[in-house]
Amino acid sequence: MADSIKCPVCGESNPASQEFCQYCQSRLQPITGSLKSPDAPIKPGQAPTKKNTAELEPVLPQWLRDARDSSRNNEDEDVPQASQRPAKTRPAAPAEDLLAGLQSQSSDGDEDETPDWLASITGTAPTPKKNQPESSEARRVELGDKNDFAQEETSDADTPSWLAGLTENKAQANEKDELTDWFRSADDSRPPQQPAKTPAAMDDIFSAPAADDSPDWLRRMAADEDDGKAQPPSFEASANDFSSQASETPDWLRGMEDKAQSADPAFFAESTADESEAFDPLSSGELPAWLSAQAESAAKRAQDTTPKWLKNEAGAPATGELPAWLSTSEDTVPLPPVPEISADALGDLPDWLKASAPQTSIFEQPDETPAAEVEPAEASIDSPDWLNAFKEAETFASNEPAPALEKDIPFDAPPAFVGDSQAGATDNLFTEMPDWLSSAMELPASSSPTPITNADAIAPGELPSWVQAMRPVDAPLPSSSSSFSSDQTLESRGALAGLQGVLPAAPGFTPTSKPRAYSIRLQATEEQQAHAVLLEQILAAETAPVPIASYSSLVLRASRGLRWFLFFVIFAAVLFGLSVGAPIFSMPLGVPREIGGALNVARSIPENAPVLAVFDYEASRVGEMEVAAAPFFDQMILLKHPRLTFISTNETGSVLIERFISGPLAGHNYENRITYLNLGYLPGGQLGIRAFSLNPRAASPLDISLQPAWASAPLEGVASLSQFAALVLVTDSADAARVWIEQTESTRGEIPVVVISSAQAAPMIQPYFDSQQIDGVVAGLYGGAVFEQNNAGRPGVARRYWDAYSLGMLLAMSLALGGGLWNAALGLRDRASAREAK
Amino acid sequence: MQVITAFIAIASGVLVLGGYFFPALAGVQTLLLNWAIILAGVAAIVGILNLTSVHMDKIRRGEKGSAYSALLVIGLAATFFFGMILRPQHNVMQMVLNGIIVPVEAALMGLLTVSLLYAAIRLLRRRTDMMGVIFLLTAALLFLGSATLPFGDIPLIGTLIRPWVSQILALGGARGILIGVALGALTTGLRVLFAVDRPYGGT
Amino acid sequence: MIFPPDLITGVISFIFTILIFSYLIGDNPLFRIAVYIFVGVSAGYVAAIALWQVIVPRLIYPLVFGSMNEKIFAAIPLLGSLFILLKVSSRMAGVARMTMAFLVGAGAAVIVAGAVMGTLIPQVGATINFFDLNAAVAVGISKGEAFGNGLVVLFGTIFSLVYFHFGASPKADGSMHRFGLIEIAAWVGRIFIGITLGAVFAGVYAAALTALIERIASIINFFANLFGNF
Repeated sequence: MADSIKCPVCGESNPASQEFCQYCQSRLQPITGSLKSPDAPIKPGQAPTKKNTAELEPVLPQWLRDARDSSRNNEDEDVPQASQRPAKTRPAAPAEDLLAGLQSQSSDGDEDETPDWLASITGTAPTPKKNQPESSEARRVELGDKNDFAQEETSDADTPSWLAGLTENKAQANEKDELTDWFRSADDSRPPQQPAKTPAAMDDIFSAPAADDSPDWLRRMAADEDDGKAQPPSFEASANDFSSQASETPDWLRGMEDKAQSADPAFFAESTADESEAFDPLSSGELPAWLSAQAESAAKRAQDTTPKWLKNEAGAPATGELPAWLSTSEDTVPLPPVPEISADALGDLPDWLKASAPQTSIFEQPDETPAAEVEPAEASIDSPDWLNAFKEAETFASNEPAPALEKDIPFDAPPAFVGDSQAGATDNLFTEMPDWLSSAMELPASSSPTPITNADAIAPGELPSWVQAMRPVDAPLPSSSSSFSSDQTLESRGALAGLQGVLPAAPGFTPTSKPRAYSIRLQATEEQQAHAVLLEQILAAETAPVPIASYSSLVLRASRGLRWFLFFVIFAAVLFGLSVGAPIFSMPLGVPREIGGALNVARSIPENAPVLAVFDYEASRVGEMEVAAAPFFDQMILLKHPRLTFISTNETGSVLIERFISGPLAGHNYENRITYLNLGYLPGGQLGIRAFSLNPRAASPLDISLQPAWASAPLEGVASLSQFAALVLVTDSADAARVWIEQTESTRGEIPVVVISSAQAAPMIQPYFDSQQIDGVVAGLYGGAVFEQNNAGRPGVARRYWDAYSLGMLLAMSLALGGGLWNAALGLRDRASAREAK
Repeated sequence: MQVITAFIAIASGVLVLGGYFFPALAGVQTLLLNWAIILAGVAAIVGILNLTSVHMDKIRRGEKGSAYSALLVIGLAATFFFGMILRPQHNVMQMVLNGIIVPVEAALMGLLTVSLLYAAIRLLRRRTDMMGVIFLLTAALLFLGSATLPFGDIPLIGTLIRPWVSQILALGGARGILIGVALGALTTGLRVLFAVDRPYGGT
Repeated sequence: MIFPPDLITGVISFIFTILIFSYLIGDNPLFRIAVYIFVGVSAGYVAAIALWQVIVPRLIYPLVFGSMNEKIFAAIPLLGSLFILLKVSSRMAGVARMTMAFLVGAGAAVIVAGAVMGTLIPQVGATINFFDLNAAVAVGISKGEAFGNGLVVLFGTIFSLVYFHFGASPKADGSMHRFGLIEIAAWVGRIFIGITLGAVFAGVYAAALTALIERIASIINFFANLFGNF
């Protein structure tokens, strides 16, 4: 055992020379062990170096100066007076120091995280071994809440029910509920403080003398500590937690539990039966040598010592005023030592604070050293009283091993641990110190000091003596504590930047128990199942593809044959119509009203007037649109030689404009930017049309060749839409025509509008002609042919197409009527046969 | 984000709408609409980028028909490349238009002739009701009225019935449809302006 | 031998026309080849047009050659354009909503104003004016004819609108029926709508037939030119 050390975290054996565990990288050696003089910690009984620190006073932090001033001012006050002073609650809102932010953060986290980690604490399976220290530390951080402070002031008469019932060994479920409630209310505002009604002996312990004069950090630490004292249920929960994870508890930890439990039953008087069951004796053979030795000595000490506080208190005449948990503690089953509160609370503190705060020694367990043995230290004349008391505390802490359980039992800090004399000495020392701090000095020897590192300690050369005295002593068993502080994560952001091990690592909070499985099997009766099957069949019938009779293979074949037939018939007719050299069919003779209107516009515009032509059709209708538009433009150009400006709201329209000019209008030799201008593509649909109608110059400043459009000859004298002589819409879409008509309604003025449309759009454009919003419509090949007939006999494409067109239309009429009637008859027959079949 | 988008939609709509009625807002309306023109053009490019990415993904994954996608991407890239160099109105680009775009679209449109006629023939087989009969009779009448005979218009039908049907009878229905469309557009537009409908993704 | 551009165009045009017509024998690879190439070429063409005729003149030019005011005013749509381009990224697509919201809002306003001022008021007014007999006489239409036509158009308009009214109330047997008068009006409206759609159908067929004629004529021209040249 001597040449190997068992890692307190993972339980693996390591060579004694190893500083860190080779398996889990946890620290094996005390972190303070490497401290050399003058950094070496003060040994118990060693007096600090006396130094003149007057010149350093100004550089001390304010809180330290306040502490000193307060102690000086109150050093003559007697303890009962101070203890009877109602303890003031710590101001909740202002955060004057770093810890305030820490608390708030932890409490904030409490609200969010409580359900998870609380569940794992109270009722779930244990977390993995390596996570235990982290979780326990995390728990300390979480529990260190400002609300805990008020618990301290509660007298026995005002003892909350949960405290009174502590001795009754509550069921675990109740404990869990209470614990949960307590945790959840951690951030809630404290109940109004009540004046301390405890007797003087208890006042020495419980009261917070001059708490209002204490620095915030001290008060908050006090709150943390008090919380630990006042919340046994949480301890019980922790104990239950341990019981549930006994199999994963490190051996050395079990050994400690065993020893401590068997050694000092009275010491753990507050413990419940459940808790004691949680710490069944386990083999201690696996304990490290150093730990075994310390455990044994602790056991021996525990057998013949302490209950000192219990003895004192039991013998006190004011027994009747003792809290219920204290008065009935003799009847309870002893539990393992739970003195770690103070150290745990310190574990939440920044290291720099640990280094400067005296708690590290104060929290040491009171040794078996009787109070009389402490007296010489108190009688030391050279040292101030508070320093003497501090020495006393160091003495307490000198030889006590630190049980491994300490971290997980954060709330047990029974005030009765402190003897009267010690308490009096403590109060003399730190009259402004809260009672939790005073009582912590008298804690049994089960607590372990929280080690500090070299980096955390203030440089010794600059330390005043009293601060030096506050440095942690070289405890005999610091390694266990340091190893528990395995969460060495250094915070790098936020208010906690620079702090180490403050926030818990996430894995510690992860519940490891599997969620309870609930059966989702539907309990349905046979009738219900039958209905469900029926519904399923109905739905399946509805969604199943049903072959359509008309699209059976036979019908499909017939359909394809009919299509081929139709194509070849039409193709032959068109080919015949186009191939015949001589015209077969007469061109349409009549002139419908809408075409007459277009004719009037073409003939009535001023000579050389600017005309806006909008080309808005797809390439698929090039043939039809060119045939319909060519006669109109041909006649207009022949008669009036207008300056044409083209624009398109279709992507390919701008190119189709060029095709139109170079095709049907090629004979007119219109030249770009002289007699015509192509403004190109106008995007945006209705938005673009509206923009163009409002301000054409702004909407289309450049032409298709990126030249300034409005300085060119075709647009000379034109600044708005109403200054064009006519608006000609060439479109295959009724919607496009509608949009142009709608959006230019208020801007085009009285200029005539002619729509040259596809035949398919004509029926929907007709109402606009009827409402006189447009002045003429030329629709499709028919309209082009009519217009061509009235174009002074000039030849055009319409004439060439007309025979094919007429043949195609007649054929269509014949096939539609004949085929329609035939199919109507077939349909009637099919339906009749279907009815007969039914 | 939803509030911001709704606010943008409402604000732009109110300003543009105000331009119709208040001359003072006409300038703002013009400005906003000119911005919309540019954004609509960019939106078209984004659509083409999306088309390209979809087919590029198909090519990368080697899906069925990826060879066709490769043809599409090659055609797109080549046309865009030459279009950017030569500009769209160049003769070479006109050849592309007249050689590929117009023939394909027109041929597809030509195939529609067969499909329409086939549908007309089969209509009464599936649905022999008043609506179908009126529909087919009207179409047949207009087919006949649009054609001519070797000696001139078809008497009565070409000169009287066809114009009356297309300009009076069909006009009533067309006007009813147009008014209905306008009412629908009005309702839809107001719903957008009141942010009841948020087709821009604001749920 | 140098082929004239028209001949090259004609050859390509002929090939693609045949490829598309091959659809009559069913969906086949030749048809797919033609369609995919067509889509790609069209998209490339549209992209080039959008760049040369929208982005360059309306966005780039003002930013490069414009005055300070023009540059400032062009910067905003430039920002909006960048937002729209982020739509390509699924992660940043949300940013594009702002631009789309602007387009939708402005478009809604344009639609509302256009529908009211360009269609609703004029069309309702035209329906009423049909009974302006003096105006009809002025354009050479008799009063009787004008009155009759006006009546037909009025009924057609009203009944067609009623047809699109689908409000109904439940009957005792649970079935849903429209109000009696509305049901009758809707029945008449169906006739008008059937006639209108028949006219549209005829127009679509006429347009398709014209396109077919144009294609066949181009093939004839191609062969005529081909054999004429050789």
